[in-house]
Order: sequence, then C-alpha cells, then structure tokens
Amino acid sequence: MSFLKNKWAIATLVLTFSTIIASSMSIYYYYQYSELLKKIQGVTIHVNLGINDGKTTKWFNGTAVKSGSSLLDVTMLVANVNYTIYPGMGALVESINEVKNAHPYYWMWWMSTPYGWIEGPIAADRYIVGDGETLFWYYENSSISPLPTPP
Amino acid sequence: MIDKRKIEKINSITKYYSTIGLLTALAVITNYSLIWIPNIKIMDLIVFISGYLYGILAGIIVGILGWMVYGSLNPYGFIPQIWIATMLCETLYGIIGGFIKIRSNIFIEDSNKFGKSILLGFIGFLTTLIYDIFTNIAYAYSFNLPFLYVMIFGLPFTITHEISNFILFMISLFPLIKVIKKLGGEK
Repeated sequence: MSFLKNKWAIATLVLTFSTIIASSMSIYYYYQYSELLKKIQGVTIHVNLGINDGKTTKWFNGTAVKSGSSLLDVTMLVANVNYTIYPGMGALVESINEVKNAHPYYWMWWMSTPYGWIEGPIAADRYIVGDGETLFWYYENSSISPLPTPP
Repeated sequence: MIDKRKIEKINSITKYYSTIGLLTALAVITNYSLIWIPNIKIMDLIVFISGYLYGILAGIIVGILGWMVYGSLNPYGFIPQIWIATMLCETLYGIIGGFIKIRSNIFIEDSNKFGKSILLGFIGFLTTLIYDIFTNIAYAYSFNLPFLYVMIFGLPFTITHEISNFILFMISLFPLIKVIKKLGGEK
C-alpha cells in the first residue's frame, strides 16, 4: 500500500471516479436530450422575425413553424432567400428579397435577449429557433465595429 | 472422556456458520429497510466485510443467500434470470473482500487512513460498476432489449448505486472492520 503515500495516486483515484461518473451522466443527458428532441419534432411553435433591408423593416410576428426548424427555414417561409452552403460552417445568406450582399453591406442576423440584441453566433441554417423567440435580419455595413444593432 | 479439541472445533464451525447466518440476515434486513431508496444498499458492504473477515467462501455464501431471500421476496418483482444474475454478481463483493485480506495489509497497518479510505471507496465503486454492467446484461437479455439502451437509460440508477457505494466503502469500511476485529469477530 506504499503507493497510497503518494498524493497523486489518491488524486488519480478520485479523478478516475469523477471522470467515469461525469462521462456516464453526460451520455445519459445527451440521449435524454436526443429523445426529447425526437418527441417534440412536429410540434408547432411561433417565432417573430424582422427583416430590415437597410431602408424599411418588415415584421412577421407569430410565424408558425415546426419545432426543430432553423432560422433559415423560417426566413424562407416569409421571404425569397438565396444562400450558399460552406461545408463545416453552414449557410451564408447571399440575398433576401433580391437585396444582395455587396461589400461592405451584408445580411447579418440578430437575436433579441433580455440583455438586448445579440449578434447571431452561428450560421442561420444551424440555429434552431425556439417558441416565442424574436430574430432579426439586418442588412448593414459590416465594416463598422462594433456592428450597429437593429433599429 | 470428552475430546476438548473436538468440542473446540465444533464450536468454531458453529460460530462460523451462525455468523454467516447473522450477516446474511443483516444484509437482507438492511435491504428491506432501505427499499424506499432505490439502489442505495448496505448489503454490498456487509458481503464485502463477510469476505474480508471470514474468507472468500463466506463472502460468496452471504452474497448468494442474501440475494436468494431478498430476490425471491422482492417487492419490485421476481424475474428468474435477474435473480440468478444478482445472486452471482453479489458474490463479487465477497470475493474481493476475501482477496484483499489475502493480498494486502490495508487494515493491519494503522497509517495513512485517508488514502486507504479513498482506495476502499474506489474499490467499492469499481466492484459496483462491474456488478451493474453484469446485471444490466442480464436485464437486457431477460427483456430482449439492446444492452446499450439498458445501460444508458439505467444510468441514473447505476450512478446512484456507484456513488453511494463509493461513499459507504470510503467512510464506514475502515472503522467497521477495526471495530469488528477488536470485538474478536474474525475467523
């Protein structure tokens, strides 16, 4: 039992124990999440979507979509969208209602949070919308830092 | 003329079997009394102690007998395959308890109690992990379910079982064996 005198040996035992428990729990919750996602697929949710083409803003409040839909799916329901898929990154929206990206003006998307507008962190086809969420497409000058928030 | 050595031998055998009976009864009673908390059981600890104090065979007997009674009169239901699997798997604690006695001096030397307690907790955890894997295989086989499915959806129960045994083995095994040894309760 001399190895027990080494504090690293004891730390290893405790770490192994916690790693196995934590991994088991993460596997369990991942499967629970996947199961839940499967169960709620097909349930109708409502999303508020705003589109500003640099001049006017149009709101599509209470847009009904199936749960599991992405922001791109919602946008395509209310507008004419052109996009390009970049492998590993997702979809880059090239134009909405014939208003095309033209440097330095690009379509950027924002989400409304209790802390104000937050710039979309991922590509629109990878962002799964939630019920009652408010999202916004803003055609804006991307060379300005920080980016101007939606009006 | 009464042979003194023969009497002592009979006494020793009687003591051995009655202790096994008592430990089995204790394991069964604690299981019934903790029936309202799924998967937190003192039985595993008692089987381990039986193995350590009275040898591998005693550990195996207590494990099998304990589950024989508790499994057949089980409020959660009786399924023969699972009953046999749990009976056999429970012996693991007794075997490991007995093996530790043969191979280590963990309870003899009185130094580094903290480290030893962690090691005992870890032994309890690993034994429980093996126990849970085997009983889940039996469960999957009995209900014709995929093993991975059974393993994943049974995780809350197995994790509870493993954490509780880690804590029980870590906290109580060392002092319990010391006390029993002092009282002369060892083969």
